[in-house]
Amino acid sequence: MRDRFGLGWRNELAAGILSNLDRIDVVEVIADDYFDAPPRQTRALRTLASQVPLVLHGVGLGLASCVPVEARRLAPMARLVDAVGPESWSEHLAFVRGGGREIGHLAAPPRTSATAEGTAANLERARKTVGTRPLVENVATLVDPPGSDRPEEDWVAGVLAASGGDLLLDLHNLHANAVNFGFDPRSFLDRMPSEKIAAIHLAGGRWIAAGRGRRLLDDHFHDVPDPVYDLLREVGRRFPRPLTVILERDGAYPGMASLLAQLDHARAALAAGRAMSDTGRAA
Amino acid sequence: MSAAFEAFLARIYVDDEARRRFLAEPREEAARAGLDASEQEALTAVDRVGLELAARSFARKRAAASRPRRRWWPFSG
Repeated sequence: MRDRFGLGWRNELAAGILSNLDRIDVVEVIADDYFDAPPRQTRALRTLASQVPLVLHGVGLGLASCVPVEARRLAPMARLVDAVGPESWSEHLAFVRGGGREIGHLAAPPRTSATAEGTAANLERARKTVGTRPLVENVATLVDPPGSDRPEEDWVAGVLAASGGDLLLDLHNLHANAVNFGFDPRSFLDRMPSEKIAAIHLAGGRWIAAGRGRRLLDDHFHDVPDPVYDLLREVGRRFPRPLTVILERDGAYPGMASLLAQLDHARAALAAGRAMSDTGRAA
Repeated sequence: MSAAFEAFLARIYVDDEARRRFLAEPREEAARAGLDASEQEALTAVDRVGLELAARSFARKRAAASRPRRRWWPFSG
């Protein structure tokens, strides 16, 4: 197993991805797009999975919650995983609804023991229904989650320990939360068990006004900034497990040359970190 | 934290009027929603700037998702 680098599958990028599979090791598909897709689209996805390693990424389950995830929400994911046969699937450590209201996006949960336990229970429900446990992804937030009684790294580490699951570490989400709420992202890495980090997300964002200050919005409309590459290098130095690294872009699409250059930059950053590790220095 | 607390957060994240009432009287609104004393206390310390930014961001995402020809969520997280 080696480190792999790929892109989020988007309609706008499909042709570019397919014509550059010699430089793209893996693609990540948004699962929710295909929950009610006609069979021919699901078959197309299975064909894609036969051409390039494919992982599914869920956005709408809302597993980070005290509320048990409903079986009717897990069933489409189970059907899609069965139909497509991805290498793995993932979901966010977020809640997306409450009291019958759809938030419409990923909301960071209050970081408490109750939500950590509820999340672990939901991850077990997901494992039983889908057949495999999802990787779980840390989320970006513009609001410090009300009701939280512990730092993000403690909450995420607690969920990983309680669920037995692995982490999809989104480095731009980590960077954004660190600059918005004033903590050192390396303190987050300090708390992560080495063997639990399985995959990485890279993305970009923009600064927005926030009162008298500013906050970093993780919008996926911009190139990966240097601090995220620095964190990737640090991940490579600390964590020896081979990683699947996905570059996410959701709009303001640049040409494929730019996206491929960002993948190359990521390859170089992770390799530099690997070379700095104890294992790398000994080699 | 309870399911009721999550429901309360969802309400103030998506409902402008509920959020306005909450920001005017956080503890009272939390009490009216049936939240316990510790939950009421937690909400008095809410990150007000962040709450408004998050609510605006969520609204934009819902609007983007409602547009035709979006085959995936407007944002993958």
